[in-house]
Amino acid sequence: MTVHSTSSVRAVENALGITIPDNARILRNLISGIQYVQDHVIHFYHLHALDWVDVVSALKADPAKTASLAQSISDWPNSSPTHFKAVQGKVKALVESGQLGPFASGYWGHHEYKLPPEANLMAVAHYLEALEWQKDVIKMQALLGAKNPHPQTYLVGGMATPIDPDSQNAINAGSIAFMKEIATKARAFVEKVYIPDLLAVASFYKEWAGIGAGVGNYLSYGEFPNDNVSNTTNCWLPPGFIRNKDISKVEPVDHKKVTEDVAHSWYKYSDGDEKAKHPWDGETNPNYTGPKPPYEFLETGKKYSWVKGIRYDGLPTEVGPLSRMLVAYASGHKRIKEVIDMVLKKLNVGPAALFSTLGRTGARGVETLVTAEMLPVWIDQLAANIKKGDLKIHNGDKWDPSRWPKEARGYGLHEAPRGALCHWVVIKDGKVANYQCVVPGGWNSSPRDAKGQRGPFEAALVGTPVKDPNKPLEILRTIHSFDPCMACAIHVVDSNGNEIIKVRAK
Amino acid sequence: MAKIAIDPITRIEGHLRIEAQVEGGKVTDAWSSGTMWRGIEIMMKGRDPRECWALTARI
Repeated sequence: MTVHSTSSVRAVENALGITIPDNARILRNLISGIQYVQDHVIHFYHLHALDWVDVVSALKADPAKTASLAQSISDWPNSSPTHFKAVQGKVKALVESGQLGPFASGYWGHHEYKLPPEANLMAVAHYLEALEWQKDVIKMQALLGAKNPHPQTYLVGGMATPIDPDSQNAINAGSIAFMKEIATKARAFVEKVYIPDLLAVASFYKEWAGIGAGVGNYLSYGEFPNDNVSNTTNCWLPPGFIRNKDISKVEPVDHKKVTEDVAHSWYKYSDGDEKAKHPWDGETNPNYTGPKPPYEFLETGKKYSWVKGIRYDGLPTEVGPLSRMLVAYASGHKRIKEVIDMVLKKLNVGPAALFSTLGRTGARGVETLVTAEMLPVWIDQLAANIKKGDLKIHNGDKWDPSRWPKEARGYGLHEAPRGALCHWVVIKDGKVANYQCVVPGGWNSSPRDAKGQRGPFEAALVGTPVKDPNKPLEILRTIHSFDPCMACAIHVVDSNGNEIIKVRAK
Repeated sequence: MAKIAIDPITRIEGHLRIEAQVEGGKVTDAWSSGTMWRGIEIMMKGRDPRECWALTARI
């Protein structure tokens, strides 16, 4: 994914002491920025909402009452009784066909679903609308990256996105206008659909502001740099570490405090599995010791995961939008503080509510809104550079390996939509001698470490209510609130599986 | 008292297994397991550092 390209070029630039041109910084900010907005909306509607929204209950809704509800919380145009009746008809056809399509294998009818049928119908309508919206707004990334996903325009030293006001085949006045249109469209949906829905849904589930806190340590590397210094701390979203939920203090980030432990992970370290390693000294020697599939349960007292035990200053640490928003809030970021306080006030809860499953889901919404507000700012920065004749996108001074030192080490900090990401690289004689990616899904899904400390998912689940162990909807709520990316955390190939739930009563 | 295993957790990217001990209507302990191997780091060794961004993007 794009996020790895960002982290990788930053790591190599850091190792070789390369400063990128201002336009490259802005292009990277725009690519990341639109990805935050698109990713978070997809997460809310398509990966997480159905933990709170009962699709089948939407069939019982009165479309006229649904329209009144929608109109009472937003002036979004697609809110008529006719619109909601049409959506209900689509869902009805799916249910009656017995093939639920995107809504298959949910816990429909679970007694922990609390929204009235009208709120369920409204959310389902927006689920479908968000599918259309997301394919349009990501065109900004396709424009700047040549395609999406996996943009092709990254380059050590800058970007390969040509800027030329006199060319049809480069970023010109037309592209700037196109990006502005997309930014407007992106922001409108977030302001008028996502945020009102989030607040409406959250108001029915306020007990989840007291569930799912987890480890209480939060890390953000900082993102959206304001200057071109490698791994700068001068970022729109500030870097910082919050220890044990203490938002009165933000500690500066030191990448040397990041370690990987394999006491409970299926790897072998050459000097013993008890001592954690910094990624520059990292090793990736697979050592599967688990049961032979198919198995009933893992041997959790021993090694039980392909994810390493990632720690900051020896502590299991949560990463993601909640961590970024907490660090910004605690650092006194004006706009973020304003939006978080607005959300807390609307839900009538205090800042402690942020340390929860609901807080995680709410923080992602806050971040989407403030990021959507920033897109036009970066577009304007790019337009201003073009106007003054600055078209530079690449610094090629150290492109040629003959200008590199014999040995160099670097790291590339990045805040991906899902959280803190860093690639560490060791270069010897012009080649990669060692490489480690420490990814957001890895931080959050970490297993226990040599000290037996639980990882963030594990800690967040302890205390989570499960009314019916055969239908563990509540576990999904907390896990999904993190937006897990196991694709990054552990594997290379993808495949589709069906959900299997095994329950053994003791 | 029941031990639950959810594998895979759906509506996420990739493969995640959760095992949880449930007692008295609450989770009392939990284990998170990544069930597939990655290994992209091994593929980077010996490569030109200028191409890692394109290769690691495929994670």
